[in-house]
Amino acid sequence: MTTPVPVGPIPTPEFEVELGRGRVRFVLARLRLMWRSFRSGWGIFMESRMGRLSLFTIVAFALMAAAHPILMAFVWDPATYDPVTGYSFDQVEQPAPPSWKHPLGTDPLGRDVLSQLLYSTRSEFVLGITAALVTVGIATFVGAVAAYYGRLLDAFFMRLADLIIALPAISLLIVLSALFHLNLFYLALIIGVLGGFGGTAIILKSQALSIKVKPFIEAARVAGGGDFHIIFVHIIPHLLPLALLYMMFTVTSAIFAEAVLSFLGLLDLRMSWGIMIHTANTGGYLLGGTRYWWLIVPAGASITLLCSAFYLAGRALDEVVNPRLRRRND
Amino acid sequence: MTDRSDPLLTVDGLSLSYQTRQGEVQAIRNVSFELARGSALGLVGESGCGKTSVANCLMRLLPDNARLSAGRVLLDGQDVFLLTEEEMRLQRWRRISMVFQAAMNVLNPVYRVGQQIIEAIETHNVEPTDTAARERVARLFRMVGLDPQLMERYPHEFSGGMRQRAVIAMALSCDPDLMIADEPTTALDVIVQDRILRELKAIQQQLAMSIIYISHDIGAVAEVTDVVGVMYAGRLVEMGDTADVFQTPAHPYTAALMSSFPSISGERRPLTNLPGEPPNLSDPPPGCPFHPRCAYATDVCRTEYPPQVKSGSHWAACWHPLDVTLVPQS
Amino acid sequence: MTGYLVRRTGQMVLTLFLIITFTFFLVQAQPGDYASFYVLNPDLPPEVKDQIRAAFGLDKPAWQQYLIHLKNTLTGNLGVSFGNFPRPVLDVLAERVPRTLVLFLTATAVSFYIGFFLGKAIAWRRGGLFEYGATISGAMLFTAFTPAFALMMIWVFAFRLGWFPVGKFLDPLVWRGADVSANYVFGNMLLSAAAFITFALLVMLFLKRFGRRVPSVVALPILLGGALVIVVAWTLSGIGGLALDIVKHMVLPVATLTLISFAGTMLLTRNSMLETIREDYVMAARAKGLPDKQVRDRHAARNAMLPIVTSLVYSLIFAIDGSVIIESVFSWPGTGLTLLEAVRSEDLPLVMGAMLFIGTLSLLAHVIVDVLYVYLDPRIRYQ
Repeated sequence: MTTPVPVGPIPTPEFEVELGRGRVRFVLARLRLMWRSFRSGWGIFMESRMGRLSLFTIVAFALMAAAHPILMAFVWDPATYDPVTGYSFDQVEQPAPPSWKHPLGTDPLGRDVLSQLLYSTRSEFVLGITAALVTVGIATFVGAVAAYYGRLLDAFFMRLADLIIALPAISLLIVLSALFHLNLFYLALIIGVLGGFGGTAIILKSQALSIKVKPFIEAARVAGGGDFHIIFVHIIPHLLPLALLYMMFTVTSAIFAEAVLSFLGLLDLRMSWGIMIHTANTGGYLLGGTRYWWLIVPAGASITLLCSAFYLAGRALDEVVNPRLRRRND
Repeated sequence: MTDRSDPLLTVDGLSLSYQTRQGEVQAIRNVSFELARGSALGLVGESGCGKTSVANCLMRLLPDNARLSAGRVLLDGQDVFLLTEEEMRLQRWRRISMVFQAAMNVLNPVYRVGQQIIEAIETHNVEPTDTAARERVARLFRMVGLDPQLMERYPHEFSGGMRQRAVIAMALSCDPDLMIADEPTTALDVIVQDRILRELKAIQQQLAMSIIYISHDIGAVAEVTDVVGVMYAGRLVEMGDTADVFQTPAHPYTAALMSSFPSISGERRPLTNLPGEPPNLSDPPPGCPFHPRCAYATDVCRTEYPPQVKSGSHWAACWHPLDVTLVPQS
Repeated sequence: MTGYLVRRTGQMVLTLFLIITFTFFLVQAQPGDYASFYVLNPDLPPEVKDQIRAAFGLDKPAWQQYLIHLKNTLTGNLGVSFGNFPRPVLDVLAERVPRTLVLFLTATAVSFYIGFFLGKAIAWRRGGLFEYGATISGAMLFTAFTPAFALMMIWVFAFRLGWFPVGKFLDPLVWRGADVSANYVFGNMLLSAAAFITFALLVMLFLKRFGRRVPSVVALPILLGGALVIVVAWTLSGIGGLALDIVKHMVLPVATLTLISFAGTMLLTRNSMLETIREDYVMAARAKGLPDKQVRDRHAARNAMLPIVTSLVYSLIFAIDGSVIIESVFSWPGTGLTLLEAVRSEDLPLVMGAMLFIGTLSLLAHVIVDVLYVYLDPRIRYQ
């Protein structure tokens, strides 16, 4: 890098434009490179049965989430079908078994189970993805900074991570729900923060350490790149594939945590899969066994399916990110 | 039981292949040789030429995807591939033992070194009591030049040379008739290598044991063996008394291999005068497998596998032997 | 090695201190304070409110409150439970903790043993229906929604089959007229279990002196004999029926917790074994002519255990969380259920006390795993 420092006249607008174009070209080249590695990664992901299956499940749930507002707007009458305030007056007995009008029956309070199920799907996605973004945002930054600066900063963040992973998360969330009123957003935030400063930070840090010693970091430093520039332009982009992987696992744990807390009746949410099971359980319908299956099976199966879909997606991504795990051809 | 003049080991037309995703890899093709009692045989060749596969065949320690397509291995006239798994288990170490290629990891890190040798002694009931077994290990340690007190130590407390000695002691622990030493000194520095080789030779003569010495290091093989076989692409291409083979090599491959080792104790040079790589064994070239790299290759070499040319016990499989005293057999 | 353990224990003590600090400031951060529970009453004159605040020490600055809190916690004064007034928190916990420990320890030990055993077996004999079935059912158990799974267990084994009671710690009908308390019976049961484990360990230690050539044929009758003595003693004691009632109530929660936690160990063992099998020392063990079982157990599985022990911390924490859920579904009156009830009734001192216990349990799990690892891996033991 021997670009001469411009001396003399103040750079003209043309020069600025030139610099701008260079920047655009640089960004474009980078994007093209990312697109290419994304395509090859996508190929590997889709090659595994686990990857295809998980993607299919996630897309199916996303469609379910998208279907709810449409159904509410055009097909379903809110007075009957609202997931929280609706009531099905034409049923003699609540909970009513599945019928044409209510494909998954109604719950003990006379509300449509399918509507509840679809409505909750959206909140699960919002929760999972928010928590995952928070986790990965924090963990990427903490990991990169801890690896880059090392010493005290590293020691502090790693001890903090040790402390967080030593704590049982569900129990901690139960305690927090006693002190604060947890809604979906706070829950996502707390899970994200716990994950971001916890185990994910440790893993991303060790990845960042292996990037830090690569020659191009040294080259960037020799070329006069500042710490900030190196961390954000050279280290963090290389952490993103692994970060994406851990996003999947965070989504799983966020959905699971929400379901457990809702089941225990500790969350301040309108509706969720956990609340559906909670409602059925407090009414004592669960011990009726298969008689009231529609109260527990759809919600329970959805939790399990979506959780394992994100988990499996993570495992399939793992094979993309860690070539070591790929099935060897010999 | 058996005549002392009978060969201890007869390998007759041995062919072995591995089933892989790329198809069948022919690791050994039609290899035959005999080994007399108390003598030392060397197998040399570049990596990947099938030397280790031969060793694993003799021990009958083959991976699941291996298939013995033809041939026999007779130990004292007994075909090892006709034994049951249990009979074979009792033969291992008692009759044939092995010093493994990657000696660094052959010792289990969680057990004391002495214990790992006693384990073999107990399995084969070589000594009646624990105390006798311990005394035996102490004797073996002294024989390979280790302090007997070291048997109470763990492998990670040993240096590379000490571990190699311990592994040799382990291989000797059940008085085997045949010991296979697969690259026993490759990972060690030259001085330790040389010392261990001499000791190995001395022990072999003292115990009147047979040894098969596998190495790519021609100098080492020349030092310790009576008979040597040169392997290339799964085939035995030249064999004879060590002195004959190395003084008047007949096969161009042997000559090329030798010229890359100026002298036994001299400095190593890369194989500059032997360009190219050994062929892909899943799709070997027709004719003589060496012809793509051979300076003397003619049309016949490219189409037909060469016949044996022979003089006494020295033979080679080549159309154009360098040593013209070797003549085709009728 | 001692240095390593001392350092790790030091870290744990520091962590515990941090947890106490963290919980204190968490309570500080929440809207209102301890006293608002009483002070919200509009009938109380302001002076009385001030008196109440002074009685709680809430008129002092936060750092003084913190020091007092620290001193109290370290001397075992965890305050008085609002919900169980006037019982001190420590007293409530002392009753509940053993129940959780029994549930947790039994389930963990059993699930680790089964998971490890199955994991190594399916890795050793790859392919086939057994591996397929075990992996699939393991993955299903691993991802099943814990409360739903627990409810299903209750429905099948308690309702449908009627083998076990539905939940709770004991059956009042059995205990009517009993002149001993449940805690007394349970305490004695714990003593018996501890005595038996000590006995078993001593027997093992004694037999080990004869070398590995002593077959397990000798150990088994001795242990069975010991167990028989305990069973006979309980039968003769007159409270055997009561103990049996508690055991009956224990089976289903323990089995459920075991099932949800064993799958993780099993899948992990399988992966770890598949890595270890490729190691040279496993090949060497086979070359030495050792019997197949010995190669698998003493060489492959013994080393495959090391990464499993490292991740045991996570399994244990998973099981701690699991036991909270299980306790709530089965109404098993342990620490987890206590925590939940305290949270529902906003019984803050009890919440803090239960959390402190759960935190301590997790830290202890950490220390135990560290010690175990040091014991299992000589490379660390002799550093």
